[in-house]
Amino acid sequence: MSVFLALLRRELGVYFVSPLAYIILTVLLGLSGLFFAYGMQEFASSRLPLDYRPTLQMVMIIVVLSSALVTMRLVAEEKARGTFETLLTAPVSDAQLVLAKYIAALILLAYLVVFTVGFAVIARRYGHVDVGAVACGYFGILLVGGVMYAIGLFISALCTSQITAGVLTFAASFVLLIASILGAFLPETSPWRPFLQGLDLNVNFGDFLKGVVDSSKLVYLLSVTGFFLFLTTRVVESRRWR
Amino acid sequence: MIDVTDLTKTYPGVTAVDGISFRVEKGEVVGFLGPNGAGKSTTMRILTSFIAPTSGRASVAGFDVVRKSMEVRRRVGYLPESNPLYPEMRVEEYLRYRAKIKRVPAADRQRRLDEVLDRCGLADRRRSIVGQLSRGLRQRLGLADAIVHHPEIIILDEPTVGLDPAQVRHMRDVIRDLGRECTVLLSSHILSEVEKVCRRVLILNRGKLVEQGTPEEIANRLMRTGRVRLEARGDGRAVKEAIEKIPNVGGILWTAKGDLNQYIIEAKEGADIRPDLFRACVAGGWEVHELAWERLTLEEAFTLITGESGGGA
Repeated sequence: MSVFLALLRRELGVYFVSPLAYIILTVLLGLSGLFFAYGMQEFASSRLPLDYRPTLQMVMIIVVLSSALVTMRLVAEEKARGTFETLLTAPVSDAQLVLAKYIAALILLAYLVVFTVGFAVIARRYGHVDVGAVACGYFGILLVGGVMYAIGLFISALCTSQITAGVLTFAASFVLLIASILGAFLPETSPWRPFLQGLDLNVNFGDFLKGVVDSSKLVYLLSVTGFFLFLTTRVVESRRWR
Repeated sequence: MIDVTDLTKTYPGVTAVDGISFRVEKGEVVGFLGPNGAGKSTTMRILTSFIAPTSGRASVAGFDVVRKSMEVRRRVGYLPESNPLYPEMRVEEYLRYRAKIKRVPAADRQRRLDEVLDRCGLADRRRSIVGQLSRGLRQRLGLADAIVHHPEIIILDEPTVGLDPAQVRHMRDVIRDLGRECTVLLSSHILSEVEKVCRRVLILNRGKLVEQGTPEEIANRLMRTGRVRLEARGDGRAVKEAIEKIPNVGGILWTAKGDLNQYIIEAKEGADIRPDLFRACVAGGWEVHELAWERLTLEEAFTLITGESGGGA
């Protein structure tokens, strides 16, 4: 356990000595703040109820699109620097390493997202906000972000170059955000249409945004995460049998 | 301590290590010698459980490197050739992190860090940022990391590469010192280095173990024909004839300076012909001024078997 904590602390340390976390945070607060301000203006000038959902949606999109920045260095950098060798010749198991890196990334995700809760607090002061639905939305953001981080970690483990890992992860996150739009180009009878719709992170996030925890979506997101973490461990392990 | 049997590692199209077998006993300081690409690093990576062999077996401290990899890793201190470090960390911070993941008990940790920093000459560099250290200091930090958890076996891949002569001397002293308490396996392509620290040398070439033994043994074995220099006072021709009768004597080169004769005598199959030479001289009543075996340096022997120039230093 203390080995795991040491790994976790080192991973977290890296995020906060580099400007990366602060840059993502700036973009996240800037863009979601813009949506929030627009929503508040609408609310003030009309009799419509306050809608917090666009803000949450924006947070989710930025979390997904910035996942490449967070995850690209995770394994690729250790490989490029050679520290992969010192790490894995120390008594550290492959799973321990992968999990420490993933959990550290998730902690960063939670840290980034928690700042946007400020918007919800402000909204609640001036209008009615369904606390349960908002909490559910944030839960959804962590789940969807968790999926993307697991995919990014996996891609990083496959690459030696951070840039390659970053570009591939960004492409994956983009495709997963617009999968159902891509599906709309296919003929209506195509079996790929519902498939792409099922992959779409926006679609999966939709119910959480409405304040509904759909167990099928929950299971889907968690199992995709687990699947990619498992694959990452296998990739790290593969140095032994290649 | 290290037991390797028929170890082979192949990559597509390349056989990096080709069926090597050797043993290293507890407390030995053994040098792995070979030109670049001979398979030294690959063997070391297998011994430290970083990669697995294609076939064959290796055990370290009694544990199989594939099946008991964790046990092996706990007992081995390893300094890879490239000496990878985290440039953004500070010296002591890095070492503390490494000590933690190498399971140095929290109670001993600070004492152990102080000890290791002191031993590697980094005590006044605790707060320095790793990325700003000189090559020599970085190498010391790599070594400090390798020994921080009190390993039984230390594996050092080219520990002196890229260091200046003073740093090389310091590194050599530390390694010699470590050799008193643990088993050390180190690699180098510079012979004079290995000769100075190791009692035993394993020579690898193109993935194969071509020689092993003490530097002297190897030099003797390789120099199929040794050379003896004899200086004797007396009748030069008579001496030469007496020498020619001795078994295992090859060519003789005779130079005379007055009545002092100098002979360079080839000994076939590395046989030691000095006792016979001495007896022949005594029997003839000739004064022996010098009787010396001219040894091959390890450098010469190495060049002979690897067919490469052995590097400078």
